[in-house]
Amino acid sequence: MAKDKNAVLNEEFVQRVRELSQHVEGGNTEEADRILDQIAKLRESSLFQELGKLTREFHEALNSFRLDARLASFAEKEFPDARERLRHVVNMTAKSADRSLTAAEESMPICDGIESEAAELKQLWGRFARREMSAGEFRQLSGRLGNFFDSLAGDATTLRGNLNEVMMAQDFQDLTGQIIERVITLVDDMEGNLVDLIRISGQNLRQSGEAPSHEELLKGAGPVVPGVDDAAANIVSGQDEVDDLLSSLGF
Amino acid sequence: MDKNIKILVVDDFSTMRRIIKNLLRDLGFNNTAEADDGLTALPMLQAGGFDLLITDWNMPGMQGIDLLKKVRADAKLSQMPVLMVTAEQKKEQIIEAAQAGVNGYIVKPFTAQTLKEKLDKIFERMQASS
Repeated sequence: MAKDKNAVLNEEFVQRVRELSQHVEGGNTEEADRILDQIAKLRESSLFQELGKLTREFHEALNSFRLDARLASFAEKEFPDARERLRHVVNMTAKSADRSLTAAEESMPICDGIESEAAELKQLWGRFARREMSAGEFRQLSGRLGNFFDSLAGDATTLRGNLNEVMMAQDFQDLTGQIIERVITLVDDMEGNLVDLIRISGQNLRQSGEAPSHEELLKGAGPVVPGVDDAAANIVSGQDEVDDLLSSLGF
Repeated sequence: MDKNIKILVVDDFSTMRRIIKNLLRDLGFNNTAEADDGLTALPMLQAGGFDLLITDWNMPGMQGIDLLKKVRADAKLSQMPVLMVTAEQKKEQIIEAAQAGVNGYIVKPFTAQTLKEKLDKIFERMQASS
């Protein structure tokens, strides 16, 4: 195309120069001046074209350079930064799980205590109601009931405190949510830049679709993420499907 | 069912170990020990005394499936019941675990009821075979 354009330009030049020499020889200076102007314009337009091309190339080079700088900043700063943030998320969730578990573990023996004392007292109370109890035994039961009521009030306070602790331990969700959102933004950014880089370097995105090897399939990969891993089918959706699959294998 | 059997719980997350231990305690099993991956679990098992192994799949060091295979390959341990409690839910993996000789497979997240059912099933078979 460019070659054609140049050929056309050259032809125009030759034509104009021929006309110019005719007019100069004929003493037609006015016409000669006009043609000289036209020739100058022709030169200018081809010069501008070249300049335009150069500018465009320069612009692209500059853009890709800016992209490189962005990628460097990903590698040097933002990725280590994201790693620390995610590690912080792991720590926060672990701490929260520990707090909740501790509160639950503290509460269980209290429930056990209430349960067993209530069962024993109920049985004694039944004996009293059936008038099978001596006055001395009843005095003992009465004292025990009094203690039980006292301890119930204390136990309820402790249990409420522990439940409160479980509730407060969920405060990580808000914070980890914000941190993870930030990392998602970074990944989005990175994705855009990588796609640009691939485009600039002139390679097509490779089609993904190769089946994973048997070994890859057997490597532990952690929980299935809805909308990501389950697209690959061959995944059970819950315990019932696991049980079905195993029973089909003779379990 | 003998509630005094010794159970080894293997998971790389301490929270999950705690949850499983608490559920076991709730079911009356108090004799438990913990390991955080296959590499630490195997010598503990080989030292003896354990009656049941509950293991995760995805762990650093040695994965649960490899621990299961090592247990089955060890003459002293080969008969030990193994319950897998894992987030891995690819069919290939479940089949692999079954072929490697797993005695139960629970996918996370799971309920106390599921754990109880699978343990009951394992104990039933243990009693039937003994």
